[in-house]
Amino acid sequence: MSENCIQEPLVRRAAVEDRWTDALRQHVASCQDCAAAAAAAPFMTQFARIDARQRALPDPAVLWLKAQILRGSAVAERAARPLNIAQMVSYVVIAAGWAGLLTWKWNELQQWVLRLTPASIVNEAAGAHSSMSATIVLAVLVLCSLTVLLGLHAILAEE
Amino acid sequence: MSALAAPSLATVAGAGGHAPQRPMDEARFESFYRASASGLWSYLHRLTGDPAAADDLLQKTFIRFIRATPGFASEEHMRRYAYRAATSVAMDHFRETKRRREVAEVEEQVAPSDSADLRHDMSRVFAELKPRERALLWLAHVEESDHEEIAEALGLRPRSIRVLLFRARKRLGELLTRRGMAPEGTR
Repeated sequence: MSENCIQEPLVRRAAVEDRWTDALRQHVASCQDCAAAAAAAPFMTQFARIDARQRALPDPAVLWLKAQILRGSAVAERAARPLNIAQMVSYVVIAAGWAGLLTWKWNELQQWVLRLTPASIVNEAAGAHSSMSATIVLAVLVLCSLTVLLGLHAILAEE
Repeated sequence: MSALAAPSLATVAGAGGHAPQRPMDEARFESFYRASASGLWSYLHRLTGDPAAADDLLQKTFIRFIRATPGFASEEHMRRYAYRAATSVAMDHFRETKRRREVAEVEEQVAPSDSADLRHDMSRVFAELKPRERALLWLAHVEESDHEEIAEALGLRPRSIRVLLFRARKRLGELLTRRGMAPEGTR
């Protein structure tokens, strides 16, 4: 039972106008829902008549425009989501790359850094003597390049 | 009271959800707004007890309404959706601010007028009700919504409305009796 009592509209009107018939009084005495409705109706009617608005309602054209702007922002946000995800993935991949390289070749890199002098750089550039394998040098170069590229992308995107 | 999720059109399909949808354009929106904004503002004001909050929530309601869908099947469908959205933003407001008990204080800040005392007393009584009770009473008595419409607006099952409305009315009756504002002549 979810429906109103069929007498409820009449009871509410009688309560608001304070015009009761015997039949309605009898009904209210036997119907809890209508008795409660009769108790609330005059108050609610009077309360609804009090106009408390102090300012004019906003212009519908402004609301329409606002909604369109927000809708546009939401569309742009949705479109940018894959790019943001790709950026986050690349941060993780590069960080993992650095972590992997440093863990895997820590001793070799440490020794190379300790031996690093201007003379050794010149010698290595001339190919006279190489203290590190070409693979590691290549990996370091690639990771450095990617880190710089990603850093520049983040800075430029923010600007 | 559990918060309402943002309403989906499927939940307000009773008023023509199966009929073909007509596109929502600015002219249609403006026509609906002119017809419904005042009533929605009053509903939000009575729920929150705060005219400034009602202004803000009215804007949120209509922005949510416009963004919800490209079209509605009928004016009644639009009205039902708007009340559901209004209830939802009001409940979000309660959750965010957690100031249900301050409603009476907000009412006191309203500029006085000829009917200031009466308005003050009535607002105080109404503010003592829970937000859901206020919504139930307003929708039933002022908007004259049936149980199905009230259920849609509040995100409740239609079967529960009769009991909830009875309790809300009874509670209001008790408050009015306690303050000597109860109506006479029903017996």
